[in-house]
Amino acid sequence: MTPGTSNHDLFENLRLELRRGSLVLAVLAALRKEQYGYTLRKTLSEQGMAIDEGTLYPLLRRLESQKLLLSEWREEEKRNKRFYRLSAEGKSILKQLLAEWQSINASLNGML
Amino acid sequence: MELLDRYLKAVAKALPAAQREDIIRELSEDIRSEMEEKESQLGRELTEAEQEGVLRQRGNPLLVAARYRQDQRTLAFGRQLIGPVLFPFYIRVLSFNLGLTFAVILTIFMALGVSGHPIGFNSILSSVLLQLFIQLGAVTLIFSLVDRHLAKHPDRWDLSGQGGGLWCGVKIEKNIDLHIPPDTPRVSRIDSVSIIIACAVALLWLTEVKTYPFLILGPAAAFLKLAPIWYQVYFPIVLLTVAEIVRAIINLVRPDWTRFRAIFSVFSHSAGLVVAYFLIRAGSWVVAGGSAAEHAEDYARTVEIVNQCIYYSLVLAAVLSAVMLVIRVAALLRPSRGQAGSPSAGAPVKEGN
Repeated sequence: MTPGTSNHDLFENLRLELRRGSLVLAVLAALRKEQYGYTLRKTLSEQGMAIDEGTLYPLLRRLESQKLLLSEWREEEKRNKRFYRLSAEGKSILKQLLAEWQSINASLNGML
Repeated sequence: MELLDRYLKAVAKALPAAQREDIIRELSEDIRSEMEEKESQLGRELTEAEQEGVLRQRGNPLLVAARYRQDQRTLAFGRQLIGPVLFPFYIRVLSFNLGLTFAVILTIFMALGVSGHPIGFNSILSSVLLQLFIQLGAVTLIFSLVDRHLAKHPDRWDLSGQGGGLWCGVKIEKNIDLHIPPDTPRVSRIDSVSIIIACAVALLWLTEVKTYPFLILGPAAAFLKLAPIWYQVYFPIVLLTVAEIVRAIINLVRPDWTRFRAIFSVFSHSAGLVVAYFLIRAGSWVVAGGSAAEHAEDYARTVEIVNQCIYYSLVLAAVLSAVMLVIRVAALLRPSRGQAGSPSAGAPVKEGN
């Protein structure tokens, strides 16, 4: 393995780690408006927060089991789709997380 | 969308039963949405190659299913040997093997106990530990090799097997209706690989058991030995095992040769029944040996009880083999599934309760 490759791998690992936490915030924020999985994935991608389906759906399930999201199967365009939206608890957590994120952002801006 | 249905089936098989239907419905909806969007962009239906491209981008069905599992345990000694993808299958296989082995050990010790033979704690412990060591070592080695292969080549999978490319033999629940059309029947390649490995291990064991009878008799090997009938059926048993390996290799190359497998199965079950007949007819399968040979009368009761256990096991094996033979023959006589009418290939996943 060349030093360049190793450096690239290290950067990639750290970048993914950095994005992982932000993704929860992005998903919660996007689900203030009810959406189903596919449109949510497109919304996130259009906003520059692309997430692959193998990560998104398990994350949605985890957030739902933590009672931050509510979901419901409904027919749309002759097909059954699972729609997700933020729960009351989710809204409260999102508010706190956003405050925390803004505080981290302000601290980092001060240091950089 | 036959390919999509096969892909979903492969993912479904590796998912926990409780969440399976719900996850598959959602995954199905997501993939169909993506395919439909591509079709509306192109203004035509996707070709099979394009559909495969979409599925390839989704990734190996085993890895996709693993992301949904909450059980992310691994096996590691310094470095990781078995990752979270294969760990549940590893535990399942190990539990089955150890359960079976300990049932055999328990039967032997019970036979010894009932016949009044003194059983020392040390002999029980050494037998259990030896089997634990052998089973744990063999199963861990095979799974860690498969895990390394999977980590090295995550994209090396296909949908040509009945349940998708990489498949570890988890039974799909009957109550899940995935509306999968009866596509061309195929022999799963993972089934074929599993049979090749299992038969190769069995061949090795058959070779070694002649030299080391404790592999089958456990601690009783000190005063028991196998009756001559086993040496008479030894070659046919080896031949049947080799034939099964050859059959699995052929089906690995030609998974569409399902009729060949069915015909072979009828032949192998028939041959197995003939071997079972000669074995049952022999009436005695172990005799006093080693230090006990000179005091055969003292060990007569032990020999009788062990022989009774073997008798019931052989009868059970023969009955199971006969039932399998009837099922295989009936399947051969039935018209092939491919000729029957099939439901709409593009039908969505059925809604659950």
